[in-house]
Amino acid sequence: MDGILAEGFSLLLFGMGFVVVFLTLLVFATSLMSRILVRFEPAPVPVAAKKTGATAGATAGAAAGATAGAVNDPALIAVLSAAVKKYREDRNSH
Amino acid sequence: MDALLSIWHSSGLYNLTAGQVVMIFVGILLLYLAIYKKFEPLLLVPIGFGGILANIPQAGIAYSAVENALYFGGAEVLTEMALLLGSATANVAELKLLIAEAPASMKAAATLVAQDAGFNNGMLYNFYSIAILSGAAPLLIFMGVGAMTDFGPLLANPRMLFLGAAAQFGIFATVIGAVFLTSIGVMDFTIQEAAAIGIIGGADGPTAIWVSTMLAPHLLGAIAVSAYAYMALVPMVQPPIMRLLTTERERKIVMSQLRPVTKREKIFFPIVLLFLVALLLPAAAPLLGMFCFGNLMRECGVVDRLSDTAQNALINIVTIFLGLSVGSVLVAEKFLDMQTVGIMILGIVAFALGTASGVLMGKLMNWMMGGNAINPLIGSAGVSAVPMAARVSNKLGLEANPQNFLLMHAMGPNVAGVIGSAIAAGVMIKFVG
Repeated sequence: MDGILAEGFSLLLFGMGFVVVFLTLLVFATSLMSRILVRFEPAPVPVAAKKTGATAGATAGAAAGATAGAVNDPALIAVLSAAVKKYREDRNSH
Repeated sequence: MDALLSIWHSSGLYNLTAGQVVMIFVGILLLYLAIYKKFEPLLLVPIGFGGILANIPQAGIAYSAVENALYFGGAEVLTEMALLLGSATANVAELKLLIAEAPASMKAAATLVAQDAGFNNGMLYNFYSIAILSGAAPLLIFMGVGAMTDFGPLLANPRMLFLGAAAQFGIFATVIGAVFLTSIGVMDFTIQEAAAIGIIGGADGPTAIWVSTMLAPHLLGAIAVSAYAYMALVPMVQPPIMRLLTTERERKIVMSQLRPVTKREKIFFPIVLLFLVALLLPAAAPLLGMFCFGNLMRECGVVDRLSDTAQNALINIVTIFLGLSVGSVLVAEKFLDMQTVGIMILGIVAFALGTASGVLMGKLMNWMMGGNAINPLIGSAGVSAVPMAARVSNKLGLEANPQNFLLMHAMGPNVAGVIGSAIAAGVMIKFVG
């Protein structure tokens, strides 16, 4: 009867140990894969990263892409603010 | 008068046994839970209905050709079987036992004798042997799950895998529970049965079915039913444990937005995972191989038709067969005993322990990363049960702080839990199979 208890504990040790070791290796493998792939990613990434850095300080450090959508486009913001300024001036002059 | 009598003797009412009545009520209970309580209806409706079909007297829908011949063949067939198996008495129970222990060649011969006498496999038995005994259905479902899984949140923050690993503690702790009950004489489980019961804590239906087919096929019905029933109970089982183990301040932690993940990373990930499985644990290769295949079909973007079939039409078809086949093993002599009760209790313990260890790991990681980086609520999602467990994390996060959306963060540990429980399944099969 104690034999099965011992078997259970060895299964706990080996099993849980193996799961942890495997997933730890997977963490390293995945991080390494991401690092390599991001390095060899063609042009769009650095451009997008620059945009993010220039406009949205809040998400600085986040590595690019979707956050730098149309809303954060500096050119668009410049155009919009010029239009708002012009509109206000026109309204004040009446 | 004789004709009337023979109709009466072949009627369901005359042949109904008490066990069958109870099992038909179990089937109706499962249908009730599925239809009115919305407990995993996609699985429990076919399982419940299959259970009712399997217990219709005289129909023999869930029996093999040999079993049908033994039960309904009469004295002539019984004598023939006894002759074949070398048994002195033509006793049904004894012949069944002999056949179960006979080598494959003998079983084939017995099947031929049954077929000569005009008996064939019941419909559900055919489904069972094609879908479950062969291992096909759980693996095909895993392929579909792979095709539905987005690894983006996990790739953005691979450390979430640790939460998926921690939540698997529930599986192994339950194995200890089962062998402890055996050693003090309350229950009687072998180590294989204990391992198959523990995997319920993986909260992953196809994995549980696959493992129990390999390790303890006679417990398949109870294990599958309790795995799916408890998966449906995730929104009720998890929150009290999560509230108990976390402080108000921890539940309010807002996690920083995940980085976007490139398409290439998503394409490479299933291949990296498969390589790691191939190198370290080939026993998990069937499960994770199909999973990675499904995921690659989804992410590579050139086989959208296949990916669409895997995650819709095919998984639906397989689910019907899998459900009916699981239902077919819900027969009285296999289901109505103390082991089933033990499995039900141990199953919920497995869930609770998995949830607790996931949350505790979340707390530990948060503490190691400065105390404001990881909301421990997402740890509970490590028990897989995709996507229900992640939704529970999200709901509790919103309760503490209405601006705190944890869903995407919880999806990371959630899919990590799927990988973790498949690895745990592989380890079980390797060590005790």
